[in-house]
Amino acid sequence: MARHLGDDWVLPTLDDWNRPWFTSGKIVAQACEDCGAFQQPPDEICGNCQGTNVVFRDCSGEGTVESVAVVHQAVHPWLADAVPYAVVVVSLDGAPGVSVIGNVLNREPNDVRIGQRVRATFEEFPYPDGEGADGETLRIPQWEAV
Amino acid sequence: MQKQAIIAGVGESDYFVRGRATQTEFQLCCTAIRNAAADAGIDIADIDGFVSYNDQRNDPLRLARALGIKNLRWSSQSWAGGGNNAAAAVQMADAAVSAGYAENVVAFRALAQGQFGRFGQARGSGRTMDGDMAWKAPYGLLSPAQECALHSARFMHDHGISQEALCDISMACYANAQRNPRATRYGKPLTREKYHASRWIVEPFHLYDCCPENDGASAVVVSRAERARDLRSKPARILAAAQGLGPMYGSSAFQPRWLGRMYYDNVGETLWERAGVGPDDVDVAQFYENFTGPVLISLCEMGFCKPDEVEAFVSNGALEGPDARFPFNTSGGNIGEAYIHGFELIVEATRQLRGESTCQVADAELSLVVSGPGYAPGSALLLAKD
Ligand SMILES: [Zn+2]
Repeated sequence: MARHLGDDWVLPTLDDWNRPWFTSGKIVAQACEDCGAFQQPPDEICGNCQGTNVVFRDCSGEGTVESVAVVHQAVHPWLADAVPYAVVVVSLDGAPGVSVIGNVLNREPNDVRIGQRVRATFEEFPYPDGEGADGETLRIPQWEAV
Repeated sequence: MQKQAIIAGVGESDYFVRGRATQTEFQLCCTAIRNAAADAGIDIADIDGFVSYNDQRNDPLRLARALGIKNLRWSSQSWAGGGNNAAAAVQMADAAVSAGYAENVVAFRALAQGQFGRFGQARGSGRTMDGDMAWKAPYGLLSPAQECALHSARFMHDHGISQEALCDISMACYANAQRNPRATRYGKPLTREKYHASRWIVEPFHLYDCCPENDGASAVVVSRAERARDLRSKPARILAAAQGLGPMYGSSAFQPRWLGRMYYDNVGETLWERAGVGPDDVDVAQFYENFTGPVLISLCEMGFCKPDEVEAFVSNGALEGPDARFPFNTSGGNIGEAYIHGFELIVEATRQLRGESTCQVADAELSLVVSGPGYAPGSALLLAKD
């Protein structure tokens, strides 16, 4: 699958806290087993009860656009062909208090609106060699307007 | 409550378009500090503390050697993104002086991006980005302008605010810069037509919603109030300063709790309580404007108006000139004068109390600086005529 901002555009460096998001092929969020609170980005301690029994829970894979900014000036030469593009903030169904950054793939940048309901889709891409997690496959969560 | 310290002197280097500085960053820094000490009438060797913020490169020990400091009693720096802690730097200097740990503490900022590369610019030739950038960069979210655009878009959506309100902020900065020969935008007036015709950087920000990048340095000397009678220049009393809570920068800031906010509610609360005055008592205000949108948000959070009123609050030239309904960014601010990470606003706030601004507000007695909406924690400073 071609990536929204170009196949050469940068990828996340995988670590223990973002691997479930970027490789599981599901929409997940960190939750505390002690108090049930969700938080994003994930951390080693629950910000609600200070418990350390933090886990990743599956969400429904749907959400709502909470904000949108249409980028016209490429701030990196590798994005020169990608502009204009829309960056969105999406709140996740099933994970109260959690939002993530993303793109809406099936709409022109200026047709993305706050309040738009979206469903997850995934950009599958090999993790680049020599970046410390050889052989892993990225399944980068993205969004489609429904 | 102590309220013992004063801004005894202010100093600046020349301000340059980014990359055109005629001195190195460290030399600019030393120039501003020497000018501040001279302005105060204090021997540079008697400076005994340095404070800055957010990864300041000009190390206090190197400064002490270069400036011939006799005894360095205090050095500190705050954690924050961008220019948010310019006021917090003065707050720390106040704390050090008021508590008696040091006598003449310099708070400062210096930057020469031609020498060191640009702040807030996406870097990396590598294929992957780590830490907080991993949550944002793969989706093309990289710069402070883009992050502030997401907050501004939500705020404008929620409160029915039009593009004209952003234009009003930029127009005020450009109008006031036309009175200030030192401003980098002096002689380059802005019109509404020119604003709307300018290219988008990231919607809702046009080119003129974004402050330029500059090289330069500015500094203040904070000393005990008893010194005031020996000083060469009129001092400004530090009535109150405050830092406040906010999200960690980056992806934390887009959580529902924080989206569309600039984290100044608690800064304002602390500041007004400590000062014993309120927003209505302020005679002149300098608001950090890396981008116009966050100014609207912080005006509301600091208690000057409600979100649904902010467009009316800034419209019809309400912010322009010395007789403005709300005198604002009188030197031209980050957008019109120069962007020294917001520290130049503290110098201008002091000038207003001395009667030395090029856009002087008559009888200004309370002078406010709101340092830096965009990245937490925020900070603010309230100065009073001595
Ligand atoms: Zn918990």
